[in-house]
Amino acid sequence: MTVTATIGVPSTEAIRRRPLTGSARSYSKTLSLILIAPLVLLMGFGFLYPVGKLLLGSFFAPEFGLEQFQRLMRSPLYLTVLLRTFEIAFAVTIASLVIGYPIAFAMAKLPRRWAALTTVCVLIPLWTSTLVRSYAWIVLLQRKGVVNALLLDLGWITEPLRLIYTEGAVVMAMTHVLLPYTILPIFAAVRAVPNELGQAASNLGAGTLSVFWRIMLPLSLPGVFAGCLMTFILALGFYVTPALVGGPRTMLMATLIGQQTTETLDWAFAGALSTVLLAATLTFVVAFRKTLSLNRGFAGVS
Amino acid sequence: MRRFLKNCTNAGLITAAVFAVSGSGSVSAQEKLVIATTGGTLEQEMRTHFFDPFTKETGIQVITVSGTGAENVARIKAMAQTGNVEWDLYQAGEIQAASELHKSMNEDMTEFCRAYQGDTDLLPGACASSGVLSAYGTTLLAYNTRSFPAPGLKTWGDFFNVEKFPGPRSMPNFNDPWRVMAAALLADGVKPDALFPLDVDRALGKLDTIRPHISLWWKTGDQSTQGFRNGEYVAGEIWQTRASALKKEGQPLAWSQDQAFLVGDRWALIKKAPHRANAIKFLEYFLAHPQAQARVCEALTCTPARYSAAKAMNAEAQAAAPTSPDVFEKLIRPDAAWINANNQMLLERWNEWNQR
Repeated sequence: MTVTATIGVPSTEAIRRRPLTGSARSYSKTLSLILIAPLVLLMGFGFLYPVGKLLLGSFFAPEFGLEQFQRLMRSPLYLTVLLRTFEIAFAVTIASLVIGYPIAFAMAKLPRRWAALTTVCVLIPLWTSTLVRSYAWIVLLQRKGVVNALLLDLGWITEPLRLIYTEGAVVMAMTHVLLPYTILPIFAAVRAVPNELGQAASNLGAGTLSVFWRIMLPLSLPGVFAGCLMTFILALGFYVTPALVGGPRTMLMATLIGQQTTETLDWAFAGALSTVLLAATLTFVVAFRKTLSLNRGFAGVS
Repeated sequence: MRRFLKNCTNAGLITAAVFAVSGSGSVSAQEKLVIATTGGTLEQEMRTHFFDPFTKETGIQVITVSGTGAENVARIKAMAQTGNVEWDLYQAGEIQAASELHKSMNEDMTEFCRAYQGDTDLLPGACASSGVLSAYGTTLLAYNTRSFPAPGLKTWGDFFNVEKFPGPRSMPNFNDPWRVMAAALLADGVKPDALFPLDVDRALGKLDTIRPHISLWWKTGDQSTQGFRNGEYVAGEIWQTRASALKKEGQPLAWSQDQAFLVGDRWALIKKAPHRANAIKFLEYFLAHPQAQARVCEALTCTPARYSAAKAMNAEAQAAAPTSPDVFEKLIRPDAAWINANNQMLLERWNEWNQR
């Protein structure tokens, strides 16, 4: 028994002694540093430095203290908007999941030609500017837009409906824009599940539903969570689409931050708003991962 | 959004400018002047009637960078903070120009204006410490003449009267809420001379009555015109320049100047401007050319800084823009000092009202 094991699998000692094979862990320290240096520099100068400066600014204007944050708490407006931002991001994430899962499944499991077609349908919008897609929604939803014209012609309504500049329109348009970010991780997870597992289950008498429910779904969950988390975080900071498709009523945190940076030029307060949004987002992400890691099956969620 | 687009064009323009400057030796040796503009037609007209002729006369090359007004100011603030000023001149809205922030970033023009003290051809206050007047424009009540044939709408009271004048409407929402509140107060019967300080509660109360009839709160000038074209709304509080552009296109549009809000744009000279002497030369050139001012204002429907320029405009433009003294008197001038002092409060109340 022990003999076969040693022959079949190389010992850990043997793996460690092998020079520079595929695993990054065996690269020398210098090489690793050189490889990550461009990314670290880019992050440092392009992201950490300016963002850090903005965030720190919120604690130092006019002098060190929490004045900007107190101001933020004084009016109910800012917390209302923060809450609304989370609500909308949540709605968008759920909608993306409900629409995205079947599409991801189709991309992974349909016959090649159909799968390719579905993939194209998912990717082409991803390569199209967010601006263009948001304007397309305006064309569809406006008072004299395509949807209203159709409903009027069908005689289902007598007065044009108010479709655009509503919260519903924002959720719909944002879902459309963010859908690929949900689909792609799920697609990767579903594709990684070997077909043999399903076949084996069927062989043992499981029905199609049962195979999906007990094999495919649990194994694709890491993809589902990765996709949802990505969509949720992107939705929290969305600026373009809500500004175009939503009216002044659907104000999100990003809109408020934009107002403070470019209109009132109150960068300290903009920094305070950004700090709150960032802290809320990080708290959420950490809490999400903690909950998931309690269940060992989802430990692969990044 | 528009800001985002502008950023892209800015990047392009700056690169273009950099290439233009560094591209050939002869050009980089040339004297130059960097002006930040709000792009679009304004920049085109300025280029044709001022920048290019100025270069021809003085040999000073004019390089422009463009962005939205607010965005330009944000960049200038950043330049001032880092002590690395790259631009010389820009046009600031008159209200902004009266703010403390503006004073901290731009030169006091009192010294420059001394030479123009006795110049009676200049509009009163055209040359002031906050900057040199480029032109006046208005925000007014425009309406679709097919929905509202003559006599049409005259006052903000008519605009808020949805029983007598039914139909969807549009009002601005570009983070500058005083215009909307002022229109509401006038509609509610406040006398123009008692308008400022704005009674925000009363204004928002009046706005509650019209909110269900507003089909678009416009953010950009383009947006404000598009809705008139496709029938999204039939009356709106929009910029005069945009209203006359629509009419030129053949849209059935009319407007009322009776309670229009008058807001000017001023040339501001940034502190520590790298080409300060050239900027001064340009401002002198600008004030010395009423004919060119007239051509620019014909194209944009604005009121130029000189009376002689207003007289030199063609009849059509004179009729459209507020140029005659009696119309000019009736226009409503915002209290810039009050607006600046209460900017944050106004925006906060406005945001809150929107969330209600």
